[in-house]
Amino acid sequence: MEKTVRILNEEGLHARPAGLFVKKASEFVSTVEVRANGMAKNGKSIMALMSLGLAKDAEITITAKGADASAAVEALVDLVAKKFQL
Amino acid sequence: MSVFGKLFGKSGESDKTLVLSAPLGGRLLPLSEVPDDIFAGKVLGDGFAIEPNEGLVVAPFDCQVAQVFRTGHAIGLTGPGGLEVLVHVGIDTVKLAGVGFKPRVSEGQKLRTGDVMLEFDLEHVRANAKSTVTPIVITNRDAVGSLELLGSGTVKRGDPVLRVLRKS
Repeated sequence: MEKTVRILNEEGLHARPAGLFVKKASEFVSTVEVRANGMAKNGKSIMALMSLGLAKDAEITITAKGADASAAVEALVDLVAKKFQL
Repeated sequence: MSVFGKLFGKSGESDKTLVLSAPLGGRLLPLSEVPDDIFAGKVLGDGFAIEPNEGLVVAPFDCQVAQVFRTGHAIGLTGPGGLEVLVHVGIDTVKLAGVGFKPRVSEGQKLRTGDVMLEFDLEHVRANAKSTVTPIVITNRDAVGSLELLGSGTVKRGDPVLRVLRKS
């Protein structure tokens, strides 16, 4: 299960968004991977996500594998689309 | 081999203990006093914060630079046992878009404790960001067994401030 989504918040994927992304991803048992700029990173690692260095308008592909993969991808795409506002 | 190594041996618990020193001088604060719900709520990990009285940031332990964000306000570090540490200068400083920040390191660089990582204009940050309070957090909580804050009040750059017991 995977989906591509664009980062819309002004500051890009730095500390606050990365923390919220990992918090959400960690609610699921599935593994989560984020791909962008030719790199693939663990979606449950704050440092890995920040190392993608993603700015506003970057596109990321979120892939999940496991029992709740579909729900995980939907929830994470929703979080990114809502500019990480809870 | 150090005296410490001789006393405890390579497999001893001492090998899993790491002390982070203050990367900059100022007032040492628990994370709960950081004026940001994400850091105060430990969403980015556990650690400590410093309200700085200077604009020079040094390596808090022997480490490697994992990430320097393009706006220069935060540096990610990796160290022994896969420990990951984020030094984030000020709150909401991503919005300063790099103005006032001069990173002195690049990704992949190896650092010794006390090596200069970043210079920043403290007055500019104070005037333009939400806060100068600088959280230093361990972002991979799975790597950590326990943490102990050492001391309180005003600390100098290089003072020991956090004892970390790693899981591996």
